[in-house]
Amino acid sequence: MNSLINETGAEILKAIRAPEFLLPTMLMPCAFYSLFGVVLNNSSGNATYLLATYGVFAVMGPAIFGFGVGVANERDRCWLQLKQAVPAPPYNYVAAKIVTTLLFAGLALIPIYLIAGFLGGVELQRETWVSLFGLHLISVIPFVLIGLSLGFSLSSGGAVAISNIAFLGLAILGGLWIPVTVFPELMQTIAKFTPSHHLAELALAIVGVGGEHATSFNLLSVLVISLVLLVMAISAWQSQR
Amino acid sequence: MNTALTTTQLSVRFGDKVALNSIDISIPSNGVTALLGANGAGKTTLINCALGLCKPSSGRLKIFSETPGKIAAKRLIGVMLQDSNLPDLLSAAEHIQLFSTYYPDPLSLEQLSRQCGLERFIHKRYKTLSGGQKRRVQFALAILGRPKIVFLDEPTTGLDIDARNLVWNTINQLRDTGTAVLLTTHYIEEADALADHTIVMSDGNIIANDSTENIRAATTGAVIRCQSSLDLSVIETLTDVRSAKIRGRQLEILSDNPTATLIALLALDPNSANLTVSKSNLEDAFIKLTNDSKLAEAAS
Repeated sequence: MNSLINETGAEILKAIRAPEFLLPTMLMPCAFYSLFGVVLNNSSGNATYLLATYGVFAVMGPAIFGFGVGVANERDRCWLQLKQAVPAPPYNYVAAKIVTTLLFAGLALIPIYLIAGFLGGVELQRETWVSLFGLHLISVIPFVLIGLSLGFSLSSGGAVAISNIAFLGLAILGGLWIPVTVFPELMQTIAKFTPSHHLAELALAIVGVGGEHATSFNLLSVLVISLVLLVMAISAWQSQR
Repeated sequence: MNTALTTTQLSVRFGDKVALNSIDISIPSNGVTALLGANGAGKTTLINCALGLCKPSSGRLKIFSETPGKIAAKRLIGVMLQDSNLPDLLSAAEHIQLFSTYYPDPLSLEQLSRQCGLERFIHKRYKTLSGGQKRRVQFALAILGRPKIVFLDEPTTGLDIDARNLVWNTINQLRDTGTAVLLTTHYIEEADALADHTIVMSDGNIIANDSTENIRAATTGAVIRCQSSLDLSVIETLTDVRSAKIRGRQLEILSDNPTATLIALLALDPNSANLTVSKSNLEDAFIKLTNDSKLAEAAS
């Protein structure tokens, strides 16, 4: 436990000492939300809809980049190999990074929530705010797994490029910026295979705006996708040299 | 004798390439062992097997009867990997603090700082350190857990003389405290200066495994250098001379028994000038050993 706390502390230090990396991924969703959810919008219905979807967008950044680029970088430097050779508890490395990701995901969410509540005219029950926050935080899981797969299989240069594609691709295809209903049929089908789409629909269900599918279908899909991603992450871990 | 590391017919293959070819060695639990060989000889693969980072294709490897990769084995070892780099944004003190939580009885920050000469830069971020300072921090992490065996994969590559001397001194200290040290190097002088025991590898095979003294002696005795009026053909017939050649204005005589050769030489030419006798170094032995093994391979 002691070493997990220390490990997490070290991760947080590393993150806050590289603000040029951290701040953009945290501020971009907030800036986008202010623009599209508040400034260019007069109806509070849209602000609520976009709060649900941009919340998912906000946690994707720290998860995909933190793990994808972070792990690939430390693998390139043979740091991961050294960690595997020393008696560090084996899951600490990932656990510490997950705690750190949750922390920064939370920090990325708070300004969006504040803007939604105070400037966007979004009105929700207190319990609804809390459930929404909980769902948004849990949403990091599939993206952490995507990041891990990228980090274990790519060089740090490749990981930056592919993480960007995954980040933007999943945001657009998942309908986080524009509802999938305005997409052509093919893209709507693709959306069903993205975790971002189902998580966004779950968030929409919480704020009382119905999504395309039944909540049970969304839940099941997120579960199945996460399991597939977990298998991918484990096999990427095992096949790394 | 107590052994720190034992391999039994250890083989590692990557596809068609044989990285380690049925190796049997044992590393004593005290003293410094040098693993010597050219790039691609299999040194790093052997170390990675010992660390549990690389699975043997067949055969086995034990560290004090523990299996590599298990936590019990990891607690016994300290390691400094080749081209390994610590995260840039933490300081040496922060790295040491984190690693201290992995071991039951770690050395204190002050002790490590003194022993590895970290005082001047211990609170600076790793990124801002010089190459030599970075190596020292890595070295500190390797010895932090009071290991029973320390693996140093090319510990002094790219170091300046000061930093290298510091690493050498610390390796000697480790030897004095009864820690086994296995270091890979392609600097023969490093093995010569530090190692009690030397293992020479070539293409995944062990081609020599003996005390450093014996390896040096097995191939050569001593080199006598002098200026002499004698003819090279005469010198070659002197007692115990293996070979002789002229290098610049100097004669270079390779002798199995320098005393006998010198008596014979001075009897014929009492005016030999600038006379020196030096022990042949490990480099001569190394070149001879790797050549012998290549010849043997070609013959078979």
